[in-house]
Amino acid sequence: MRRLSRLIILTFALLFLLLVALPSQAFAHGLGQSQNLPLPFWLYLFAAAAVVLVSFVQISLLVNEAHALPLYSRFNLFRIGSLRAVLASRLLLFGMRLLSVVLFLLVILSGILGVQAPSLNFAPTFVWIIWWVGLSFFTAFVGNIWPLINPWKVLFEWAEGLARALGLKRGLQLGGDYPQSWGIWPALILYAAFIWIENNFAGSATPLYIAFFTLLYSMFTWSSMVLFGKETWLQKGEAFSVYFGILGRFAPTEVRVSDPQLCHQCSSKACKEAGAGGCVNCYECFAKAPPEDRELNLRPPAVGLSLGERVSPDRLVLVVFLLASVTYDSLLGTPPWVRLEYLTSLPETLGIIVVPLLFLALYLGFVKLSELLSEGYVSFGQLAGAYVYSLVPIAIAYLVAHYYTLLIIQGQAIIALVSDPFGWGWDLFGTADYEINAAPIGADTVWYSQVCLIVAGHVVAVYLAHVAALRVVRSPRLQSRMQYPMLALMICYTVFSLWILSQPVVEKRKNEAIPTEFMADPSVPTETAPDFDPTLRQPPQPGNQ
Amino acid sequence: MLTRALIVIPLLLLVLVGLFFLLRPASPPENVPTTEESTTEGPQEKTFDLAIVQGSMTPSEITVYEDDPVVLRITSDSPLAFHLHGYDLETEVEPGEPVELSFTATITGRFEIENEQAREELGVLLVQPR
Repeated sequence: MRRLSRLIILTFALLFLLLVALPSQAFAHGLGQSQNLPLPFWLYLFAAAAVVLVSFVQISLLVNEAHALPLYSRFNLFRIGSLRAVLASRLLLFGMRLLSVVLFLLVILSGILGVQAPSLNFAPTFVWIIWWVGLSFFTAFVGNIWPLINPWKVLFEWAEGLARALGLKRGLQLGGDYPQSWGIWPALILYAAFIWIENNFAGSATPLYIAFFTLLYSMFTWSSMVLFGKETWLQKGEAFSVYFGILGRFAPTEVRVSDPQLCHQCSSKACKEAGAGGCVNCYECFAKAPPEDRELNLRPPAVGLSLGERVSPDRLVLVVFLLASVTYDSLLGTPPWVRLEYLTSLPETLGIIVVPLLFLALYLGFVKLSELLSEGYVSFGQLAGAYVYSLVPIAIAYLVAHYYTLLIIQGQAIIALVSDPFGWGWDLFGTADYEINAAPIGADTVWYSQVCLIVAGHVVAVYLAHVAALRVVRSPRLQSRMQYPMLALMICYTVFSLWILSQPVVEKRKNEAIPTEFMADPSVPTETAPDFDPTLRQPPQPGNQ
Repeated sequence: MLTRALIVIPLLLLVLVGLFFLLRPASPPENVPTTEESTTEGPQEKTFDLAIVQGSMTPSEITVYEDDPVVLRITSDSPLAFHLHGYDLETEVEPGEPVELSFTATITGRFEIENEQAREELGVLLVQPR
């Protein structure tokens, strides 16, 4: 088993090296560009002022509030007979899993066999817009259905069922020991690799590469599931299960196993420690629980982010990485970043490590401040874990503000693509000629909605941080003092995301000289820009022609 | 708590609305640079000469305002397929033969201009709301 562990570490290392060595190119966003105009400066000013103002009013209202911890109310949708009949029906659940597997196979097939122009192939639009953006939105605002439809999980379960039917009594899982010290670092590394592919990898929209990476990830996921067990890997190493799990905490729905006895059979620690109310979003025991112990609850949005459980350091780093990665995509296109790149000529790939580390340093710095103000009542580690989830709503608000136009405009492309997934001129459903309507929403409406979303996300975050403070200390005086550092950090993060929305997008184009404003000394003529050959940064895109 | 909130929150909203109208400039905003003559009142026709040399277009960024009639005069040193996204206008350009593309900028936003043949981005059209 130790040898196997080494092998896996080696694979990770090789994978990472491979990624760094591959040609990279800035602004090769997964697919398609947002047609958003940058926020005008006056609106940016207004929004920033609004954020500060709202924060302080909110804090002043919250400070003297009753100091009981909110036990949230919930409503079990399964109590309505007809809803239960539909939502828990085997036909619907199986249908969704089957659909997910079919789409998964279609991505791989169209990637390999289809036309390689990104806009004519099913794979890029489906993966980057419908699945990555669309499912993220769905998870945050409806509920986390990834554990139900995760094609890697579904296919593994089917394969295991088949193996059992064929007489393999132990199934496919070898039951190897997962090294506890690994925590959820594998998921973090894989998530980082994914974000890198999305933002830095030149071929991220090329169908063949999408198919290649999907297959690579599938092999890796399935072999890890065989080695360490399906559930262990889903919780520790399957990047998307972890990612959607965090977004799903924001969602207004939860699945709950009402009997704590059943929760003790879960493999994850947080689920085992469930109190009298049962365990929330423990999909492993939920799947095993008898129907009468299952609940599908409506709950107030975002309460899942303030459940107050202990957060381990690896999970903390992952959440901070998620916060950073959300803005990373657009940060790469802002003028100061491009200027920095020209000046330092550091590899762009470095940003994916440096930016999250900066976020982490900032976060821990503000936590330290909060700890100092707590007069030694709370430890640094406890505080760092207590606050981290409360920043997630700001990231979600930014995600929606930045991507929703992409989803409703570029996302329309999928209507034509389902009829002709390979670009071979098929018309399966009669929609192959559908043309994208680029004008469903004007640029000024987009601006105002962006500002509203960002401010709303901020308000939710400040409230969650307040609840977190209530949880760690009793004294009202300390509670109100301790939340100021976190409030300051939240204002910084929110204004930072507003700032990114207000920046013009800089494009590096072929054969184009560096705009003079990006140079250290504007008086130096562009032609003599040191060590810059734009053609070098433009790698050939295989399979494009 | 509730009474305080009932007073403070409407007050806050009032202040925010006031601030919004205070900061919002008369349309169109002045701080957005326009390439052509200044936009004062109503839509104005804008003409741009776009020269594509070795796959690079000058100017590479065009800004107009909503509802402006726009004329693009395109010349290129190599054959290409000029494609304006969003408006979904496409035209073939041959070397030595200037092509004119005219349309009214009814959709606001940021739109890519692409050479469909090489799938290279040439530039962007920015249509600012009025």
